[in-house]
Amino acid sequence: MKIILVFLTFIQFSWGADATLEVVKGVEGLSPLAIEDSSLQTSDLSRKFTQMLAADMNVVSLFNVNDSYAAVPFNSLSPSPLHQGAQYLLRYRLVDDGVGGIRADIKLLQNGNELFAKSYILKQSEMAVFLSHSIAYDINAKLGGSPIDWIKRKVLFVRLTSPKRSEIVVSDYTLSYQKVILTGGMYGFAKWANSEQSEVYYTSLLDFKPTIYKFGLQTGKKDKIISSDGMAVCSDVSEDSKRLLLTLAPNGQPDIYLYDLTSGAKTQITNYSGIDVNGQFMGDGSIAFVSNRLGYPNIFSTQMNSTAVSQLVYKGKNNSSLSSYKNFLVYKARENSATFAGNSFNLHLLSLNTGNVQRLTASGENDFPKFSFDGQAILYIKQEGSRSSIGVIRFGVNKSFIFPLKIGRIQSIDW
Amino acid sequence: MMKKVAFLSATVAMLILSGCSSKEPAIDATANANGTSVGTKANGADSGAVIAPVSIANANDGANGANGANGSDGQLVSILFDYDKFDIRADMQDAMTKDALLVKGKSIKLEGNCDEFGSDEYNFALGLKRANAVKAALVNSGIGADSIAMSSLGESNPVCLEKTKECWQKNRRVDFKLP
Repeated sequence: MKIILVFLTFIQFSWGADATLEVVKGVEGLSPLAIEDSSLQTSDLSRKFTQMLAADMNVVSLFNVNDSYAAVPFNSLSPSPLHQGAQYLLRYRLVDDGVGGIRADIKLLQNGNELFAKSYILKQSEMAVFLSHSIAYDINAKLGGSPIDWIKRKVLFVRLTSPKRSEIVVSDYTLSYQKVILTGGMYGFAKWANSEQSEVYYTSLLDFKPTIYKFGLQTGKKDKIISSDGMAVCSDVSEDSKRLLLTLAPNGQPDIYLYDLTSGAKTQITNYSGIDVNGQFMGDGSIAFVSNRLGYPNIFSTQMNSTAVSQLVYKGKNNSSLSSYKNFLVYKARENSATFAGNSFNLHLLSLNTGNVQRLTASGENDFPKFSFDGQAILYIKQEGSRSSIGVIRFGVNKSFIFPLKIGRIQSIDW
Repeated sequence: MMKKVAFLSATVAMLILSGCSSKEPAIDATANANGTSVGTKANGADSGAVIAPVSIANANDGANGANGANGSDGQLVSILFDYDKFDIRADMQDAMTKDALLVKGKSIKLEGNCDEFGSDEYNFALGLKRANAVKAALVNSGIGADSIAMSSLGESNPVCLEKTKECWQKNRRVDFKLP
């Protein structure tokens, strides 16, 4: 009875329509799920795997997840004594394949009845967190949850390691698995070059002029795209991967340029004596960007073949750090007008359809917002006091999730 | 039963009140209340994780690291800037004049830097505009534009790592680098 009565309020975002109010069930109304290790030989990895799955199943948001560890035979008819109240049981059996990989069998039981079963092969056991993400994806799809295709995507970020030194890292969405793909230079502004996530754009800042390169993850091949005095940044890649929005600064003047990868043609989009940066392709064909043309950083837009510029945001005196998905923009806003007091930065969602602005975070310094490729979620970095986290905001279920982070200072992030 | 009715009423009231305010969904707060702060810990991340300015803690030890509070080479003095500004302050004019004399006849690279605030791309642009302002001042002093190169390092090359106003001020600067 109590469970039925408890509701929480959330603002429901709907991409098709616009932000509308709906009420959805909170975690207290969700069915209890427990996770059980059925590996024949339990190991550190098999024990950690319960935590990985628990974190992912929390993000799935269909269950009230019990993350206590228990080892139970795969075909046992009853749950562990720790999990007696669990309506759903997720059992996994990890088998070391002897050559660095693992095989995983999983099944989801509802009140003792098998709902879903699948086997997985993972070639590198250190990527077990991706296996966990795949299992969560499959269970969510099986149960008809709000789409989470992004959960299997790789995240690309640049980490500052020492003055004028950084490295480019590929990770999962929680940043728990990390693989350095480029090191030894000063890199910045890494972006996925295609939807397959097989190539990356980045800026090398130690070249005589800042230079944008394309780097193949499998091939290791590095191609120079363009260089510019002072500044050269790949700000956005078009959906078809054929066009780029760049910030270039010939003569020390940062402006936005459209670069056609097929023809190599470069078109200047903005021409302003101050700062224009961070161009983003929008769903209506316009380009949104950050400019200080009113004396402080704010969000504007322009059309491809027009010199007219429109102001998009009318609140706040310090709005920057853009990411776009179709007709939606997420940006970072400094909340207080004082220069440093409080240091509060919050993320806001702007709909170009209605002009509505919605605040997405409540406290701390929230930065590097980035839409998932399907617009279903936003990834961001949160710092509160001395704690740093990576956050995921899911629009389909109106929740955000925080994962602790210990990786040093981030220069850029892409998803 | 009365308690449940009271609770339900309170919940409904909360729904109505919340429904009226579309300003602050407070998604963060909800997430924390739900206890979703769960890390996978697959890579040694722990719940007590502390951000690491640690990786740049040895600012003065880096191969190309900044030289104390002044990041410029030789006798040259870095030019400091106000928050979110790229015009040369009146109190920097003396330093600017001295630097212009020292770089006459030499090739020089100007590196624009920022404090840790502002977005990454905007910050880089701000650093570049600062370098460009110094370049314009040097050109006005008779130095050839062709002998001046520029780059922006955003917030990636701090000379000071404390979270104080004085420290942030030191980082909003243009350094003079000799070849």
